[in-house]
Amino acid sequence: MKKILIKLLGGEKLQMVRISLFSIIISLFVGAIIFIAMGKNPFSAYGNLLQGSGLLMKQKYAGRQNMFTDFMSFLDTLTPMIFAALAVAVALKAGLFNIGVSGMMLTAGFIATLTVGYSSLPAFLAKPLVLIIGAVSGALVGALIGWLKYRFNINEVVSSIMINYTLMYIFTFFINTFFLEPTSRQSIVIADEARLTLVNVKAFGLKFCIPLAFPLAIIVAILVRYLINRTTTGFEIQAVGLGKKAANYAGISISKNMMLAMIISGALAGLAGVTYFCGYNASIRPGVVPSMGFNAIAVALLGCCDPIGCIFASFLITAISNGSIYMSSQQGVEIEIADLITSVILIFAACSEFLRMYIEKISMEQNDKKDVKRV
Amino acid sequence: MIDNIIIDGLAFALPMFIMAIGGIYSEKSGITNLALEGLQGFGAFFGAFTAVLLMQQFGGSSQVPYYISFIAAALGGMLFSLVHVLLCIKFKANQVISGVVVNILAAALTSFLTKRLNESIFGKTSNKFVLGTSIRFSVPGISGIPVIGAFFRNVYPFEVIIIIIAVIMWYVMYKTPFGMHLRACGDNPHAADAAGIDVNRIRLISVIISGGLSAIAGMSYAYSITANFSPDIYLGFGYLSIAALIFGNWSILPTLEACLIFGFARSGGQALIQQLGMPSTYNDIVRIIPYVVTLLLLVFFSKHNNSPRALGEIYDKGKR
Repeated sequence: MKKILIKLLGGEKLQMVRISLFSIIISLFVGAIIFIAMGKNPFSAYGNLLQGSGLLMKQKYAGRQNMFTDFMSFLDTLTPMIFAALAVAVALKAGLFNIGVSGMMLTAGFIATLTVGYSSLPAFLAKPLVLIIGAVSGALVGALIGWLKYRFNINEVVSSIMINYTLMYIFTFFINTFFLEPTSRQSIVIADEARLTLVNVKAFGLKFCIPLAFPLAIIVAILVRYLINRTTTGFEIQAVGLGKKAANYAGISISKNMMLAMIISGALAGLAGVTYFCGYNASIRPGVVPSMGFNAIAVALLGCCDPIGCIFASFLITAISNGSIYMSSQQGVEIEIADLITSVILIFAACSEFLRMYIEKISMEQNDKKDVKRV
Repeated sequence: MIDNIIIDGLAFALPMFIMAIGGIYSEKSGITNLALEGLQGFGAFFGAFTAVLLMQQFGGSSQVPYYISFIAAALGGMLFSLVHVLLCIKFKANQVISGVVVNILAAALTSFLTKRLNESIFGKTSNKFVLGTSIRFSVPGISGIPVIGAFFRNVYPFEVIIIIIAVIMWYVMYKTPFGMHLRACGDNPHAADAAGIDVNRIRLISVIISGGLSAIAGMSYAYSITANFSPDIYLGFGYLSIAALIFGNWSILPTLEACLIFGFARSGGQALIQQLGMPSTYNDIVRIIPYVVTLLLLVFFSKHNNSPRALGEIYDKGKR
């Protein structure tokens, strides 16, 4: 057993990736046990998850729909998730735990909706403007959290939670008082020109949506990776995250880099916000904090805080949550089971550092045994 | 109006206080506990489920389910806190991450189980256990005094339970050897270890205590503010109580002040809205008061904070 573990997970090369995969597989196994306990076939349940996300063929489709349309709407939900996960990952690189992604998303979504969404700007102006406003307003919230952290030494977790709820109630108030659509109990739908997703595109006899910001998400992920791993700025941010005292001693400004990391993180969260509220959705539901901001923490951890890893992790988690609607209708199980599987994945992802140390320990023990034999 | 502010404020502040005491126990022993939010939710779920089961047995008017549900909630919270213990102590995970993971797990698990149990046991599709608000009582005599009497009027029974537990917890923390060991583990675990204290055991016990105490808080909210158990219980009160204990500098009595400020800020705002006859949407503006007050207080007070020195550090015997 130990030997198999060492073989699978030992060694330096791509070790974190393999450990992440290992924890995913174990979690899916745990999920399978839950399905079996409920008297369902785990394979068909997982199959339904993939089918719901357009990654596997369904048995039958409604008119003007097929696997491609499902896949496009899957990409539509994936886009904000990638941005949100990147936001968490960048902050974590600087040793900051950005739990305020939800609040930043709401801010970006709300301000972009108000300024551009309700205006009558033409599409070629409105769409880039939405992105810019989203990034800037998210960055402002990030800057506030970073400022509170280094100026007043307020734990960023506590401050960002307070800010999350404060912002949520403020926006709820404004939406309920001024921008409420009585039938849907949500904010008034934004103009199509400002929406980052083209909805109801009719082509090839199909009706689907096109998430315009998806390529941007991939490009931004690559850029962030370049910034973190290949530039002085990124190096300084990482140094602050790994050891504040050492970084300070090396002449790296802690406060500047913390602020910078939070601003970048906020901008990314803002992009997540506009792609969620002005792309995937076209309106804001008052009174709730988007859960995506919290799930993104999980996703970033699962992706080993690496921007490219975040893309794959977002892919997995979004596939589970997006496919859960179809699965629950096919299998007759509660939709919450998807969240449950996600949180089990998280638990194992949180233990990945322990697993790495454990592998190191047992492989050293094994080597010792070999040495003893040789002698 | 002042009476109402006091009555509602206390009903909000005391559960928060007991939860914050739980947080203090955990953090004083050196384990960062962001999991309070999840622990109170899971505790409330467990207690509410027990209460709903017992209500069928005893009938609606009996008070037995009410008291048993608090015991059940505490047990549930203790049980669930083991997840945090397992991740933090056994698997040496980052304690902040572990806390967040426990919260996510609690939300997912309770909403899943609530639906499941409602369907399989009570045969209805619903995502909540309906409890109704708890009865209230007034202390005869004293409650007649103007203003001060309001502290003794329309009191929820759980407020009394909480005060009793809080006094015991204060005593344990500051007057017993266990409390001293616990504080030593948070400040200098290696010294504590050298003195023959089992650091991990103390930390285990204190996280379990914090689970039980937060669960009582969750159950109190389920019986007062929300009047049922549903996923709506995750309103961030757990995080508020963490803010309260940071403001209270990790000691119990100043934390009580912080909780009372939150409580009265909240109820005061609500009373103001009612008094001015504003539409109900303005309630949302009032709801931000506790959060903003917390932030402002933190701005002014967190400079002088001295958190437990080994807070958040994984205890590693080999490390010096």
